[in-house]
Amino acid sequence: MRLLLAEDDFNLVETLKKDLQSAGYAVDVANNGIDAEYLGNEMIYDIAVLDLGLPQRNGIDVLKNWRASNNHLPVIILTARNAWHERVDGFKAGADDYLGKPFHIEELLARIVALLHRSSQQPGGALNVAGLSLDEEKQTVTTANNEIHKLTGIEYRLLRYFLLNPQRVLSKSKITEHIYDLDSEKDSNVIEVYVRHLRQILGKESIETRRGQGYVFRGNE
Amino acid sequence: MQSLQSKLSVGLFLSLVVTFSALWLLVSFNVQYLAEEYIASRLKHDADTLLSRISFNKNSQLVIDSSRVDLIYSQPFSGHYYVINTPEQSVTSRSLWDQKIKQQTVITGQQLKSVQQGPEQQSLLLISAGYMKQGHQLTITVAEDLNPVNKNITKFKTGFSVMAIGLLLILLIFQIIILRLSLRPLNKIKNELKELQQGKIEKLSLDTPHELQPLIYEVNHLLGIMQKNLLRSRNALGDLAHSIKKPLTVIKQITSKIETSDVNRATLDTQSDDIYQITDRILKRARLAGHSHSGTLFSFSEDFPVLLKTLNMMHVNKTIQLNLQIQENIICPVDREDMLELLGNILDNAYKWATYKITVKVKINSELHIVIEDDGPGADNEKINELSKRGVRLDEKVQGHGFGLAISADIITDYNGEIIFKQSAELGGFRVDITLPLH
Repeated sequence: MRLLLAEDDFNLVETLKKDLQSAGYAVDVANNGIDAEYLGNEMIYDIAVLDLGLPQRNGIDVLKNWRASNNHLPVIILTARNAWHERVDGFKAGADDYLGKPFHIEELLARIVALLHRSSQQPGGALNVAGLSLDEEKQTVTTANNEIHKLTGIEYRLLRYFLLNPQRVLSKSKITEHIYDLDSEKDSNVIEVYVRHLRQILGKESIETRRGQGYVFRGNE
Repeated sequence: MQSLQSKLSVGLFLSLVVTFSALWLLVSFNVQYLAEEYIASRLKHDADTLLSRISFNKNSQLVIDSSRVDLIYSQPFSGHYYVINTPEQSVTSRSLWDQKIKQQTVITGQQLKSVQQGPEQQSLLLISAGYMKQGHQLTITVAEDLNPVNKNITKFKTGFSVMAIGLLLILLIFQIIILRLSLRPLNKIKNELKELQQGKIEKLSLDTPHELQPLIYEVNHLLGIMQKNLLRSRNALGDLAHSIKKPLTVIKQITSKIETSDVNRATLDTQSDDIYQITDRILKRARLAGHSHSGTLFSFSEDFPVLLKTLNMMHVNKTIQLNLQIQENIICPVDREDMLELLGNILDNAYKWATYKITVKVKINSELHIVIEDDGPGADNEKINELSKRGVRLDEKVQGHGFGLAISADIITDYNGEIIFKQSAELGGFRVDITLPLH
């Protein structure tokens, strides 16, 4: 899952980015409002964490502009401005969730997971799709026969992206966009390697290859 | 102070009454005077005519050619009388019958006017004039009854009074109308000030007479300054909170990296939480708009649904059945931001603890009453007592959900309202009763 972190505090970005990456997100950072709005409109993000006190363009305006241009990117507002009228204004502007600073990273991660599930119409709790259960905290998957498999970072990211978009045709480039951030070296051939790894764990039928189109996740049905 | 309208009305009424009374006195006096003068001059003519009918015979006896004297002097008590006196004799008109008129001798060429009671309650005007005829000195006194004339004068005076009073009333009505019309801008300003107090408008309208414009300008100017100052201090406090919270956030992120077993982590965690809570509460308390006008008031029809939507989004994992019993057309006497903070904290607490149900009741009579209750575990008496303590000191630790309630209590105190925490009898959970005065 690719995440846009719009935050201008350098120290906070440092620690936050690391935490988000180790939780399996491809993170891009925008440290001002104009960049944040531009990146958010690129349609490659699955979720945005938006600070309201951004330089150059206020976070609320960024959010309003996204919503005005029909951009439904799920947004969590992360702000020190957590008076109730500010929360209400945040939700009015189109936010999906609101977290006041200071916060525990666990809380932010839990809210990101909850929002991602919500936006792909999955119920809360562990991600259960097609007989598979993904533990987003431990980054493990439980198959239909109750075997627990540990996943590497990229495997986890890839599987989660599949689980949140089951039965959909996903091209290699789209997958790449959603599991790598801007700074990573992108080689879409690597995806093939990881798909093979996942097939070894989940069974051959779980991921179908469509020539010239990409992959469709079928799961353990 | 007395009302401007009644003051002006009384003043104008009194001056009109004085003017009309003076006019009435002047006119009645003059009418009386003119009538008497006119009668007096006619009597003088009569005296002169009488003189021409008088002659003295050889015996120096006074003879009147009565055939040439007006008939009116022959009818008894006709109201017209004469008395002619010489030093030797006195002749009276037949009309005087056996009555007497007191009169005195007047020297030749002189004339005397007097009033006296005559026969049959007649009020007589007398003109006595002294003459010299055929070497005889004589005084002719002619009298006329004033009653018929006085009767007419009284009639005139009554008519005049009625007309004057009528005019006075009409003028008064006109004055009241004129006063009302010219004081209308003041009433408009009064209504506008009320609306201003209720936050319906932000400025007084300038559509007023020239005399009032400087006042309106000044009020608007002061309002502008007040709003600007309030906004500025709110923004400054918000920025301060923001800038304190940023380093706190970083501290918190770094703290979470320390091994959980390390004692320092717990200490750092609680200390930073304390700093956060204290700043948050001080800032929220300081930025309370209180009774100053910050502009918008909370609206139950507009702001409340958005607040509920916000709460639903924040507690998206919970399915809460909301029971709203909100009276229609409620004017809330509290600033929008304060009310959102007040209700937000209490409702957030209810959402956190409720199992399924939350009830919100809002009604208005002489005060605004809000009841929020949930079906959660509620709070024990000790906790309720702790929460009910007015003005919990800032350095006292307010744990978890109690923190939000403490902020709500601060807001209530600021608006001279009352907040009561108790066990909900209806739902079994926590219940908050709020009473807010309307002014």
